[in-house]
Amino acid sequence: MALELEYDRSLYGKEHEAGPFEVTEDMIISFNQSISQAGPCYNNKDAAVEAGYRGIIAPPTLCTLFVRRVQLPDINLKFGKTRFHGGQRVQAKAPIVAGDSISASSHLKEVYAKTGRSGTMVFIVWETTFTNQLGEVVADVQESYAARE
Amino acid sequence: MYFDLHCHSVSSDDSRATVEQYLKWIQVLRKRGYTVDGIVLTEHRKFDFDKDYAQLANDYGVVVLKGSELDTRFGHFLVYNVSQGLADDIDFADVRMDARELMKAAQHHGALAIPAHPGRFGIGLVEFMDKGEIFEDVKIVERLNGGGRPGENERADELCDSRGYLGTGASDAHLASHVCVCMTNFEMDISNEADLVAALLSGNFSPVRLEETSIG
Repeated sequence: MALELEYDRSLYGKEHEAGPFEVTEDMIISFNQSISQAGPCYNNKDAAVEAGYRGIIAPPTLCTLFVRRVQLPDINLKFGKTRFHGGQRVQAKAPIVAGDSISASSHLKEVYAKTGRSGTMVFIVWETTFTNQLGEVVADVQESYAARE
Repeated sequence: MYFDLHCHSVSSDDSRATVEQYLKWIQVLRKRGYTVDGIVLTEHRKFDFDKDYAQLANDYGVVVLKGSELDTRFGHFLVYNVSQGLADDIDFADVRMDARELMKAAQHHGALAIPAHPGRFGIGLVEFMDKGEIFEDVKIVERLNGGGRPGENERADELCDSRGYLGTGASDAHLASHVCVCMTNFEMDISNEADLVAALLSGNFSPVRLEETSIG
């Protein structure tokens, strides 16, 4: 009586792309204000350049603004009645700098079941890689969605 | 020897602690006068055959063993001394597996599977026993779980006392500072997973809270 998860497995190996997204100073400063990032390299171009950056740098989580811009397909999971956001993990790889042009590429990483106090849940995990105009990977973001019985 | 028999590293989907963070925190605990000899990484629904923590273990002077915590239709089970043979026979990702089959397969392969947090509401073994399910192979359960909510460890106590089960202790840590809050005190020396199973089968162990290991 194994739990056989039914969903569109043909989505594995397919990349879903979006962008490029222009990163502006205004965007970074607004993001800084929303998370109280007051560091000089995040807010002052002279300080950032003096520290060796090409311009003011963005908090690593800035790329989460762009994750939802990728149009992800429905995996047609046949499980549960309730869906909710299961969290994000951001792995910063290189600084995101004002003036950068960031592209996103998402793929289905895994679908798995787990059990807990509230019953069985199925997690759908998407992984998005962000790359700048120089071809550098600046961040990987894992985002999961949960389905509950 | 004091061992934390149940903790999760970043290899598990819901943990944020690296193995090295655990080992660094254990150094803090030791400086505070507590005794910790080893930990067992019991990752969710998997076994990390490819991971080798020998160098880290040597660097920090902590025995680091590997195990699994598997979901079953009768709650979670901790599995010690996992082998490739066991992984070939049991689908570790199957959350609806029969725990009784898991216990038998584990025994067949020289491993040991015991119920984790049996008093946990909604998912602990007690819930299923109360519904009439019988588990003849259960002799040891995780009696003291560091992640338990009020009342859950007490249900595990009642289970052990009423059925004569032996009980282990473990943190169920998912964060570095939570590791070793509960442990198991063994009389035997343990340096590998086979030793651990032998020590558990010997019956000479008891669950302890971290405070009980203080040498100060």
